[in-house]
Amino acid sequence: MRNDWDDEQLLAALRESVRARLAVPPWFTQTARNSYAWLDIDAQLARLTYDSSDDRELEATLRSVSTRSEPASIRALTFTSARLAIELEVTADSLIGQIVPPRQGTIEQESKSGETATVSIDEIGCFYIQPVPDGSFRLRCRTEDGVDVVTNWFTL
Amino acid sequence: MRDDPSVIALVERAVNSDQSAWNDIVERYAPLVWSVCTRYRLNDPDIEDVGQTVWLLLVEHLGKLREPAALPGWLVTTTHRECQRALTAARKTEGAGTKLDDALLVVDGTVIEQEILAAERNAALRQALRELPPRCQQLLTMLISDPPRSYAEISATLQIPIGSIGPQRARCLERLRRTAALAGFSADEMRVNSTGGEKRA
Repeated sequence: MRNDWDDEQLLAALRESVRARLAVPPWFTQTARNSYAWLDIDAQLARLTYDSSDDRELEATLRSVSTRSEPASIRALTFTSARLAIELEVTADSLIGQIVPPRQGTIEQESKSGETATVSIDEIGCFYIQPVPDGSFRLRCRTEDGVDVVTNWFTL
Repeated sequence: MRDDPSVIALVERAVNSDQSAWNDIVERYAPLVWSVCTRYRLNDPDIEDVGQTVWLLLVEHLGKLREPAALPGWLVTTTHRECQRALTAARKTEGAGTKLDDALLVVDGTVIEQEILAAERNAALRQALRELPPRCQQLLTMLISDPPRSYAEISATLQIPIGSIGPQRARCLERLRRTAALAGFSADEMRVNSTGGEKRA
Protein backbone atom coordinates (compact mmCIF):
# COMPACT_ATOMS: atom_id res chain seq x y z
CA MET A 1 0.00 0.00 0.00
CA ARG A 2 2.68 2.47 1.00
CA ASN A 3 4.22 2.19 -2.43
CA ASP A 4 1.06 3.85 -3.77
CA TRP A 5 1.98 7.25 -2.40
CA ASP A 6 3.61 9.32 -5.05
CA ASP A 7 6.38 11.74 -4.16
CA GLU A 8 4.32 14.87 -4.77
CA GLN A 9 1.48 13.68 -2.56
CA LEU A 10 3.84 12.71 0.20
CA LEU A 11 5.64 16.06 0.01
CA ALA A 12 2.32 17.95 0.01
CA ALA A 13 1.13 16.01 3.07
CA LEU A 14 4.46 16.66 4.80
CA ARG A 15 4.19 20.39 4.01
CA GLU A 16 0.66 20.45 5.45
CA SER A 17 1.76 18.67 8.64
CA VAL A 18 4.57 21.13 9.28
CA ARG A 19 2.32 24.09 8.44
CA ALA A 20 -0.25 22.87 10.99
CA ARG A 21 2.46 22.70 13.66
CA LEU A 22 3.89 26.14 12.83
CA ALA A 23 0.40 27.67 12.99
CA VAL A 24 0.30 27.03 16.74
CA PRO A 25 1.56 30.06 18.69
CA PRO A 26 4.32 29.29 21.23
CA TRP A 27 2.22 30.61 24.14
CA PHE A 28 -0.45 28.03 23.36
CA THR A 29 1.93 25.08 23.59
CA GLN A 30 3.65 26.62 26.64
CA THR A 31 0.32 26.81 28.47
CA ALA A 32 -0.27 23.18 27.59
CA ARG A 33 3.17 22.09 28.86
CA ASN A 34 2.69 24.04 32.10
CA SER A 35 -0.64 22.35 32.75
CA TYR A 36 1.24 19.19 33.66
CA ALA A 37 2.26 20.76 36.99
CA TRP A 38 -1.36 20.08 37.87
CA LEU A 39 -0.52 16.39 38.23
CA ASP A 40 1.49 17.16 41.36
CA ILE A 41 -1.25 19.24 42.91
CA ASP A 42 -3.73 17.40 45.03
CA ALA A 43 -6.38 19.93 44.17
CA GLN A 44 -9.41 18.93 42.19
CA LEU A 45 -10.74 21.05 39.39
CA ALA A 46 -14.01 22.88 40.12
CA ARG A 47 -15.84 23.56 36.87
CA LEU A 48 -18.17 26.45 36.20
CA THR A 49 -21.56 24.74 36.34
CA TYR A 50 -23.90 27.70 36.65
CA ASP A 51 -23.75 31.29 35.43
CA SER A 52 -26.80 33.49 35.94
CA SER A 53 -25.92 35.46 32.82
CA ASP A 54 -27.01 32.33 30.96
CA ASP A 55 -30.48 33.11 32.28
CA ARG A 56 -30.41 36.67 31.03
CA GLU A 57 -32.55 35.98 27.99
CA LEU A 58 -35.14 34.25 30.13
CA GLU A 59 -35.10 37.15 32.58
CA ALA A 60 -35.62 39.64 29.79
CA THR A 61 -38.67 37.72 28.65
CA LEU A 62 -40.07 37.50 32.16
CA ARG A 63 -39.47 41.20 32.72
CA SER A 64 -41.32 42.12 29.55
CA VAL A 65 -44.51 40.50 30.83
CA SER A 66 -44.13 41.93 34.32
CA THR A 67 -45.51 45.36 35.19
CA ARG A 68 -43.28 45.82 38.22
CA SER A 69 -39.86 47.26 37.77
CA GLU A 70 -37.33 44.85 39.18
CA PRO A 71 -34.04 45.55 40.87
CA ALA A 72 -30.92 45.01 38.77
CA SER A 73 -30.06 41.35 39.02
CA ILE A 74 -26.83 40.28 40.65
CA ARG A 75 -24.69 37.90 38.68
CA ALA A 76 -24.25 34.56 40.37
CA LEU A 77 -21.86 31.76 39.46
CA THR A 78 -21.33 28.27 40.81
CA PHE A 79 -18.19 26.16 40.51
CA THR A 80 -18.61 22.52 41.36
CA SER A 81 -16.18 19.75 42.20
CA ALA A 82 -16.85 16.33 43.62
CA ARG A 83 -16.25 17.47 47.20
CA LEU A 84 -17.51 21.03 47.39
CA ALA A 85 -19.11 23.88 45.50
CA ILE A 86 -18.03 27.51 45.39
CA GLU A 87 -20.88 29.97 44.94
CA LEU A 88 -20.10 33.53 43.91
CA GLU A 89 -22.10 36.71 43.66
CA VAL A 90 -20.68 39.64 41.77
CA THR A 91 -21.57 43.05 43.21
CA ALA A 92 -20.36 46.46 42.05
CA ASP A 93 -17.27 46.45 44.24
CA SER A 94 -16.72 42.92 45.48
CA LEU A 95 -17.11 39.21 45.03
CA ILE A 96 -19.10 37.54 47.76
CA GLY A 97 -18.51 33.83 47.99
CA GLN A 98 -19.72 30.85 49.92
CA ILE A 99 -18.43 27.33 50.22
CA VAL A 100 -21.00 24.55 50.18
CA PRO A 101 -21.06 22.62 52.46
CA PRO A 102 -19.83 25.45 54.73
CA ARG A 103 -16.47 25.18 56.50
CA GLN A 104 -13.48 27.35 57.28
CA GLY A 105 -10.39 27.70 55.15
CA THR A 106 -8.69 30.03 52.71
CA ILE A 107 -9.35 31.29 49.21
CA GLU A 108 -6.42 32.15 47.01
CA GLN A 109 -7.09 34.32 44.00
CA GLU A 110 -4.57 33.93 41.21
CA SER A 111 -4.21 36.06 38.10
CA LYS A 112 -2.67 34.92 34.82
CA SER A 113 0.44 36.95 35.59
CA GLY A 114 0.93 34.78 38.68
CA GLU A 115 -0.08 37.34 41.32
CA THR A 116 -1.96 35.85 44.22
CA ALA A 117 -4.02 37.23 47.09
CA THR A 118 -5.44 35.17 49.92
CA VAL A 119 -8.56 35.78 51.99
CA SER A 120 -10.01 33.62 54.74
CA ILE A 121 -13.27 31.71 54.70
CA ASP A 122 -15.30 32.28 57.88
CA GLU A 123 -17.10 29.65 59.97
CA ILE A 124 -20.24 29.81 57.87
CA GLY A 125 -18.26 29.31 54.67
CA CYS A 126 -18.32 32.94 53.47
CA PHE A 127 -15.50 34.99 51.96
CA TYR A 128 -15.13 38.43 50.36
CA ILE A 129 -12.83 39.50 47.58
CA GLN A 130 -12.33 43.19 46.96
CA PRO A 131 -12.16 44.66 44.38
CA VAL A 132 -13.77 42.50 41.71
CA PRO A 133 -10.88 40.83 39.84
CA ASP A 134 -10.06 42.37 36.52
CA GLY A 135 -9.11 39.97 33.72
CA SER A 136 -8.73 36.23 33.81
CA PHE A 137 -8.33 34.60 37.23
CA ARG A 138 -9.00 31.43 39.19
CA LEU A 139 -9.72 30.64 42.81
CA ARG A 140 -8.09 27.92 44.88
CA CYS A 141 -9.97 26.86 47.94
CA ARG A 142 -8.30 24.99 50.80
CA THR A 143 -10.49 24.01 53.70
CA GLU A 144 -9.45 23.13 57.24
CA ASP A 145 -10.52 19.55 56.73
CA GLY A 146 -8.13 19.16 53.83
CA VAL A 147 -10.25 19.70 50.72
CA ASP A 148 -8.29 21.45 47.99
CA VAL A 149 -10.02 22.58 44.78
CA VAL A 150 -9.17 25.06 42.04
CA THR A 151 -11.65 26.63 39.65
CA ASN A 152 -10.92 26.77 35.97
CA TRP A 153 -9.72 30.16 34.66
CA PHE A 154 -12.51 32.59 34.04
CA THR A 155 -13.16 36.23 33.34
CA LEU A 156 -16.13 38.14 34.74
CA MET B 1 -9.62 4.45 15.96
CA ARG B 2 -6.10 3.18 15.39
CA ASP B 3 -4.29 1.63 18.33
CA ASP B 4 -1.15 3.67 18.02
CA PRO B 5 1.34 1.98 20.35
CA SER B 6 3.37 5.19 20.72
CA VAL B 7 0.33 7.12 22.01
CA ILE B 8 -0.46 4.33 24.46
CA ALA B 9 3.13 4.39 25.75
CA LEU B 10 3.13 8.19 26.02
CA VAL B 11 -0.08 8.23 28.04
CA GLU B 12 1.21 5.52 30.37
CA ARG B 13 4.44 7.43 30.98
CA ALA B 14 2.59 10.73 31.47
CA VAL B 15 0.36 9.16 34.11
CA ASN B 16 3.56 8.32 35.98
CA SER B 17 4.92 11.86 36.28
CA ASP B 18 7.02 11.92 33.12
CA GLN B 19 7.06 15.55 31.94
CA SER B 20 8.84 14.69 28.69
CA ALA B 21 6.08 12.24 27.76
CA TRP B 22 3.54 14.98 28.49
CA ASN B 23 5.52 17.40 26.30
CA ASP B 24 5.44 14.83 23.50
CA ILE B 25 1.67 14.53 23.86
CA VAL B 26 1.42 18.34 23.66
CA GLU B 27 3.78 18.45 20.67
CA ARG B 28 1.65 15.86 18.95
CA TYR B 29 -1.82 17.20 19.68
CA ALA B 30 -1.50 20.96 20.31
CA PRO B 31 -2.05 21.57 16.56
CA LEU B 32 -5.30 19.60 16.80
CA VAL B 33 -6.59 21.55 19.81
CA TRP B 34 -5.44 24.81 18.21
CA SER B 35 -7.10 24.12 14.86
CA VAL B 36 -10.43 23.37 16.57
CA CYS B 37 -10.14 26.64 18.56
CA THR B 38 -9.45 28.77 15.48
CA ARG B 39 -12.64 27.55 13.83
CA TYR B 40 -14.66 29.33 16.52
CA ARG B 41 -13.01 32.71 15.88
CA LEU B 42 -12.49 33.30 19.58
CA ASN B 43 -10.08 36.01 20.71
CA ASP B 44 -6.66 35.04 22.09
CA PRO B 45 -7.53 35.33 25.81
CA ASP B 46 -10.58 33.11 25.27
CA ILE B 47 -8.51 30.60 23.31
CA GLU B 48 -5.96 30.61 26.13
CA ASP B 49 -8.70 29.90 28.68
CA VAL B 50 -10.09 27.11 26.53
CA GLY B 51 -6.63 25.63 25.99
CA GLN B 52 -5.83 25.74 29.67
CA THR B 53 -9.12 24.12 30.65
CA VAL B 54 -8.73 21.36 28.04
CA TRP B 55 -5.17 20.46 29.10
CA LEU B 56 -5.98 20.65 32.82
CA LEU B 57 -8.93 18.35 32.27
CA LEU B 58 -6.66 16.01 30.34
CA VAL B 59 -4.17 15.89 33.22
CA GLU B 60 -7.04 14.97 35.52
CA HIS B 61 -8.41 12.53 33.00
CA LEU B 62 -5.18 10.79 31.96
CA GLY B 63 -5.38 7.96 34.43
CA LYS B 64 -9.03 7.37 33.56
CA LEU B 65 -8.63 7.09 29.79
CA ARG B 66 -9.80 3.53 29.28
CA GLU B 67 -8.24 3.40 25.84
CA PRO B 68 -5.20 5.65 25.56
CA ALA B 69 -5.67 5.43 21.81
CA ALA B 70 -8.95 7.32 22.26
CA LEU B 71 -6.97 10.38 23.39
CA PRO B 72 -7.30 12.44 20.17
CA GLY B 73 -11.05 11.84 20.10
CA TRP B 74 -11.36 12.91 23.72
CA LEU B 75 -9.30 16.05 22.99
CA VAL B 76 -11.37 17.05 19.98
CA THR B 77 -14.75 16.63 21.64
CA THR B 78 -13.58 18.36 24.83
CA THR B 79 -12.12 21.28 22.85
CA HIS B 80 -15.32 21.68 20.83
CA ARG B 81 -17.36 21.70 24.01
CA GLU B 82 -15.14 24.27 25.76
CA CYS B 83 -15.07 26.47 22.63
CA GLN B 84 -18.85 26.43 22.41
CA ARG B 85 -19.05 27.38 26.07
CA ALA B 86 -16.63 30.27 25.51
CA LEU B 87 -18.44 31.36 22.35
CA THR B 88 -21.80 31.43 24.11
CA ALA B 89 -20.30 33.47 26.97
CA ALA B 90 -18.59 35.89 24.55
CA ARG B 91 -21.83 36.50 22.68
CA LYS B 92 -23.64 37.34 25.87
CA THR B 93 -21.01 39.91 26.79
CA GLU B 94 -21.06 41.44 23.35
CA GLY B 95 -24.84 41.73 23.39
CA ALA B 96 -27.51 41.20 20.82
CA GLY B 97 -25.56 43.01 18.10
CA THR B 98 -23.48 39.95 17.37
CA LYS B 99 -24.67 37.75 14.60
CA LEU B 100 -25.24 34.22 15.69
CA ASP B 101 -23.53 31.65 13.58
CA ASP B 102 -25.40 28.64 14.80
CA ALA B 103 -23.54 26.38 12.42
CA LEU B 104 -20.65 26.61 14.89
CA LEU B 105 -22.75 25.13 17.65
CA VAL B 106 -23.52 22.00 15.69
CA VAL B 107 -20.54 19.79 15.04
CA ASP B 108 -21.24 16.56 13.27
CA GLY B 109 -19.36 13.36 13.85
CA THR B 110 -17.86 13.27 10.37
CA VAL B 111 -16.11 16.59 10.95
CA ILE B 112 -14.69 15.35 14.23
CA GLU B 113 -13.56 12.09 12.65
CA GLN B 114 -11.80 14.00 9.85
CA GLU B 115 -10.09 16.34 12.29
CA ILE B 116 -8.78 13.36 14.22
CA LEU B 117 -7.57 11.56 11.10
CA ALA B 118 -5.82 14.69 9.81
CA ALA B 119 -4.18 15.27 13.20
CA GLU B 120 -2.96 11.67 13.41
CA ARG B 121 -1.61 11.81 9.88
CA ASN B 122 0.13 15.14 10.53
CA ALA B 123 1.62 13.94 13.81
CA ALA B 124 2.89 10.73 12.13
CA LEU B 125 4.44 12.72 9.28
CA ARG B 126 6.23 15.13 11.64
CA GLN B 127 7.47 12.18 13.67
CA ALA B 128 8.60 10.44 10.48
CA LEU B 129 10.57 13.54 9.51
CA ARG B 130 12.34 13.49 12.89
CA GLU B 131 13.30 9.85 12.36
CA LEU B 132 15.25 10.68 9.20
CA PRO B 133 19.00 11.34 9.08
CA PRO B 134 19.82 15.07 9.47
CA ARG B 135 20.71 15.50 5.78
CA CYS B 136 17.29 14.24 4.69
CA GLN B 137 15.54 16.35 7.31
CA GLN B 138 17.32 19.45 6.04
CA LEU B 139 16.59 18.70 2.40
CA LEU B 140 12.90 17.89 2.91
CA THR B 141 12.41 20.87 5.22
CA MET B 142 13.82 23.15 2.54
CA LEU B 143 11.69 21.53 -0.15
CA ILE B 144 8.47 22.14 1.77
CA SER B 145 9.38 25.56 3.12
CA ASP B 146 7.09 28.50 2.62
CA PRO B 147 7.96 30.48 0.56
CA PRO B 148 9.53 27.71 -1.56
CA ARG B 149 13.30 27.66 -1.96
CA SER B 150 14.86 27.36 -5.36
CA TYR B 151 17.10 24.41 -6.20
CA ALA B 152 19.98 26.91 -6.51
CA GLU B 153 19.38 28.06 -2.94
CA ILE B 154 19.09 24.49 -1.66
CA SER B 155 22.25 23.56 -3.52
CA ALA B 156 24.17 26.49 -1.95
CA THR B 157 22.88 25.86 1.60
CA LEU B 158 23.33 22.08 1.68
CA GLN B 159 26.43 22.16 -0.54
CA ILE B 160 25.19 19.55 -2.96
CA PRO B 161 25.14 19.85 -6.76
CA ILE B 162 21.79 20.95 -8.23
CA GLY B 163 21.74 17.79 -10.34
CA SER B 164 21.71 15.53 -7.28
CA ILE B 165 18.83 17.26 -5.49
CA GLY B 166 16.22 15.34 -7.50
CA PRO B 167 17.68 11.88 -6.78
CA GLN B 168 18.33 12.74 -3.12
CA ARG B 169 14.78 14.02 -2.77
CA ALA B 170 13.47 10.70 -4.11
CA ARG B 171 15.75 8.74 -1.74
CA CYS B 172 14.75 10.79 1.31
CA LEU B 173 11.05 10.41 0.51
CA GLU B 174 11.57 6.67 0.16
CA ARG B 175 13.20 6.59 3.60
CA LEU B 176 10.29 8.64 4.93
CA ARG B 177 7.83 6.04 3.63
CA ARG B 178 9.75 3.32 5.42
CA THR B 179 9.90 5.05 8.82
CA ALA B 180 8.27 3.37 11.79
CA ALA B 181 6.05 6.43 12.24
CA LEU B 182 4.40 5.92 8.84
CA ALA B 183 4.38 2.14 8.91
CA GLY B 184 0.80 1.92 10.10
CA PHE B 185 -0.68 4.29 7.55
CA SER B 186 -2.39 3.04 4.43
CA ALA B 187 -2.50 5.06 1.23
CA ASP B 188 -6.17 5.85 1.79
CA GLU B 189 -5.51 7.36 5.20
CA MET B 190 -2.74 9.47 3.75
CA ARG B 191 -5.13 11.01 1.28
CA VAL B 192 -7.91 11.98 3.69
CA ASN B 193 -8.23 15.74 3.52
CA SER B 194 -4.77 16.02 2.03
CA THR B 195 -4.06 18.78 -0.40
CA GLY B 196 -3.99 16.55 -3.42
CA GLY B 197 -4.54 19.56 -5.65
CA GLU B 198 -1.00 20.72 -5.08
CA LYS B 199 0.39 18.34 -7.67
CA ARG B 200 2.78 20.13 -9.91
CA ALA B 201 2.38 19.85 -13.68
